[in-house]
Amino acid sequence: MADLIKLTGLQRYYEVGGETVKALDGVDLVINQNEYISIMGPSGSGKSTMMNMIGCLDSPTTGTYEFEGEKVHEMDDNQLASIRNRKIGFVFQTFNLLPKLTALKNVELPLIYANIPKDERLELAEIAMGKVSLTDRMHHKPNELSGGQRQRVAIARALVTNPSIILADEPTGNLDSKSGVEIMSVFDELHSEGNTIILVTHEAYIAKHAHRTIHILDGRIEKDVYNKKIRKKLNKKKATA
Amino acid sequence: MVTYVESLRMALTAIWGNKMRAALTTLGIVIGILAVTLMGTLISGLDRSFEKSMSFLGRDVLYISKHEWFGDSEWWEIRNRPDLKVDYVEKLKDQGKYVIAAAPVAMRSVNITRKDEMAMGISLAGTTTEFTQTAFMNIESGRFYTEGEDRSGARVIVIGYDVANVLFENENPIGEKVKIGNYVFRVIGITEKQGKFLGMFSLDNRAIIPMGTYQRLFSRRGWMRLEVKVDDEHIDDAKDEIIAIMRRLRGLGPEEKNDFAINQQDAFRQQYQTMKIAIGGTGFFITVLSLVVGGIGIMNIMFVSVKERTREIGVRKAIGATQASIMRQFLLEALFICLFGGCVGIVLALGGSFLIDKFVFPSTMPVSLALISLILSSVVGIVAGLAPSYKAARLDPIEALRYE
Ligand SMILES: Nc1ncnc2c1ncn2[C@@H]1O[C@H](COP(=O)(O)OP(=O)(O)O)[C@@H](O)[C@H]1O
Ligand SMILES: [Mg+2]
Repeated sequence: MADLIKLTGLQRYYEVGGETVKALDGVDLVINQNEYISIMGPSGSGKSTMMNMIGCLDSPTTGTYEFEGEKVHEMDDNQLASIRNRKIGFVFQTFNLLPKLTALKNVELPLIYANIPKDERLELAEIAMGKVSLTDRMHHKPNELSGGQRQRVAIARALVTNPSIILADEPTGNLDSKSGVEIMSVFDELHSEGNTIILVTHEAYIAKHAHRTIHILDGRIEKDVYNKKIRKKLNKKKATA
Repeated sequence: MVTYVESLRMALTAIWGNKMRAALTTLGIVIGILAVTLMGTLISGLDRSFEKSMSFLGRDVLYISKHEWFGDSEWWEIRNRPDLKVDYVEKLKDQGKYVIAAAPVAMRSVNITRKDEMAMGISLAGTTTEFTQTAFMNIESGRFYTEGEDRSGARVIVIGYDVANVLFENENPIGEKVKIGNYVFRVIGITEKQGKFLGMFSLDNRAIIPMGTYQRLFSRRGWMRLEVKVDDEHIDDAKDEIIAIMRRLRGLGPEEKNDFAINQQDAFRQQYQTMKIAIGGTGFFITVLSLVVGGIGIMNIMFVSVKERTREIGVRKAIGATQASIMRQFLLEALFICLFGGCVGIVLALGGSFLIDKFVFPSTMPVSLALISLILSSVVGIVAGLAPSYKAARLDPIEALRYE
């Protein structure tokens, strides 16, 4: 089976006032199914750019990106929209819910673009709301919810299409630490159910939830390590093998 | 399919969220649609009353008179023309192959009295019995006078519907006496209600007496016209023929201009067409202007709407909206704002035409015009929505998501 995600020699340059900003400067990376990855690095190091790239919101300047064996770097706009819709679930730092829609409607939205009929949509959206334990807040508007609840709605929206990967760019960045912990337990739960998750964070205690941490500096991967617990597990496996 | 329904729902939600703004921007469209539908109503009403008036003037009747109805001859030229004479009528009938009937009509304004009642400003016509063929009227009760009564100068009178009403409220006028000045007339007939000619002079406000009587009692000279009914298959030939006979009667040489005018219904028609084009043109101009202004307004507001919702567009793209679905959403929004304006315009126009119908003249708003209005406002909506929707569809998702 092909790798879930494979980046090769990926570069993303921006031209700003005649100067070239190398947001990503040669990234090689393979991500497998059911990995739980955190990305760390100083501000401006290229974390968001990488997430946008993986989330098919952006296209590389050079290099290749394969998603489940498909060449994303060659895709046109409609194909990108379709892959974002079906395969990727995005969670943003600022939640990005549509303020005029109820929580449930927000969660339904990706299914609308997937052309799924109303009844099925409702059912799937309710299930997703259940996974983030918000069935009692389905008909609330975002401004009637706390930050943590909003982010849970956003997570429900990300996973409602049953995507291949969930991407979260600083999902706890706008939350107090208590809500942050809550959100992380949601991600842990989703991972244990078999989801693949990548999240960007500044906080070491958040990063620790993941099994693998990728450190980025100046648009390059500086360090790519498995966390202690996982290392131990892997070593055990090797030993027994 | 789902996305179409949803785009529609999204568009309506967005409009509902900004009711006031949508209502204000749609004003231009409302005015445009109002202008086009009201103009249509007006023209339909004008048409109707014009045709009704025209039915008083036969298509196959030529009216010989001193002046042209819509001529550009100078007034002194007309004043110097000789009067028409009653005996031309016999000559026209003898010599004109196409002449079917002819009647001289002399007219003056009089007051008719009966006991204490008085009908003022009545048009008294003196004419012959063939007037019943050249004029379009029916006798409601009683009869018209006979040739014998005409020749002998009998003092009999046929009165219009309104005259009868004023003088004989609930009584039967037939056989009763009325007075014009000191002359006593016996009422022998009443004409059917006819209404106003082009909304100006009432045809029910007149009275008719025999030509012989008229000349004896009032005058032998003065204003007169001849009404000639001709073969309706040869109206143009008949006209040429009558011109020739008239020139002979007047003894005009080949170089001399006609010193009389031959009028026909067509003169009114041409005049009316010109007026209709003027009204239609004005209405069209107002419509186009307000639709263009309205369209620009909608386009502006759509640009604002796209700008305000940049982040929303980014979110939608991030979760899988295609360019086409974003485009559709905003196009539908513009379309519905305009359609809404169109509907408001039509509702207002319905009210307006009801008022016109009630207080100005009978008219109805043509259904086809309402449909055309709706199509027009849809077109305006789509055209005005194109650029903003395209802009929305082409937004870069990352830029859009970062927008504050
Ligand atoms: N649209 C853009 N235009 C120009 N420069 C950009 C743009 N987006 C990101 N950059 C630059 O690329 C670099 C990486 O940015 P980003 O990926 O947002 O960093 P991070 O998320 O790690 O803070 C930064 O120097 C940033 O200024
Ligand atoms: Mg960032």
